[in-house]
Amino acid sequence: MNAMALDIPVLETERLRFRMLTMDEYEAECAFYATDRSVGVGGPHTPREVWRTLSFLIGHWVIHGYGMWALEDKATGQYMGRAGFLNPGDWPEPEIGWTLMEHAEGKGLAYEAALAVRRFAYETLGWTTAISLIKADNARSAALAQRLGCTRDGVFHHAIAGEVPVWRHPGPEALA
Amino acid sequence: MTTAPTIETERLVLRQPRASDLAAYTAFIMSDRACFVGREHSRFSAWKCFSAEAGHWMLHGYGPWAVTLKGAEETVGQVGVWQPEEFPERELRWLIWDDAEGKGIAYEAALAARDFDYRVHGTRTLVSYISADNARSIRLAERLGAHLDKDAHPLDPNGLVYRHPGPEALS
Repeated sequence: MNAMALDIPVLETERLRFRMLTMDEYEAECAFYATDRSVGVGGPHTPREVWRTLSFLIGHWVIHGYGMWALEDKATGQYMGRAGFLNPGDWPEPEIGWTLMEHAEGKGLAYEAALAVRRFAYETLGWTTAISLIKADNARSAALAQRLGCTRDGVFHHAIAGEVPVWRHPGPEALA
Repeated sequence: MTTAPTIETERLVLRQPRASDLAAYTAFIMSDRACFVGREHSRFSAWKCFSAEAGHWMLHGYGPWAVTLKGAEETVGQVGVWQPEEFPERELRWLIWDDAEGKGIAYEAALAARDFDYRVHGTRTLVSYISADNARSIRLAERLGAHLDKDAHPLDPNGLVYRHPGPEALS
């Protein structure tokens, strides 16, 4: 038998620790997906769909070797949301994504997390470009994309979500 | 957290599913052949199922394997033990792609997966949830020694539960 342990990289920013998602996040994610705050990321979802969503976000690491991290408050250990990479079967290219739980909003944590994720993409994964897919009605995430220096770059036609604006991040040279 | 171990049978290798297996899995799960196991209607939802099956290993330490013929890269199906949140019990499940049918592959892989689960994880009992219309899978369940368990909870009104012989009965 040769089962492999999959150790995902642990990142830290000033206020956040990035670690593997687990089913410990199930209740917080169920609360998030029960509300309209989840519309931007495909919600609302039933608890059963949340279970599957967490499973596939974790499986993403196995399939691609990168994925979404759980974001934890460094001081309290509280689950704040997730940030990282998404590359489902029909995506135009891998994206940088972020989702905060309600209690974590308004503190600049998504910005802090997205910066660290983008740096990881360029410095560790060797990406030369990155996008974020942000639904047109998700004004908060679009504002964050702009703060991150992203510019609009066309539209992705998603089978379920419909037309989703593509935001292109500045590349590694532009940020150097 | 662990990924799937590799196990071998006479003709097959059961290994961790990888990104390159996605196309074959998607073709199956979006086809009419998947009508008994929960057909998916978009590449996105197919990808979610595929990745969730890989995530099952990480979360629970067991899950579905990608099945290949020895020496081949491409998969012929996905077979293993899993228990999604809505399943009352742990299930031994087999998915075999269209062109690999009729060769006893599902039987060989399911035997290995069941044996592994009993031996390595100490599981005492396993079921297979099978649609009442899925005659081929019912035949396979019977060939594996499973019997219809009318007292067990099915997944849906048209579903049957086949209970496998436990580790003692097989030893």
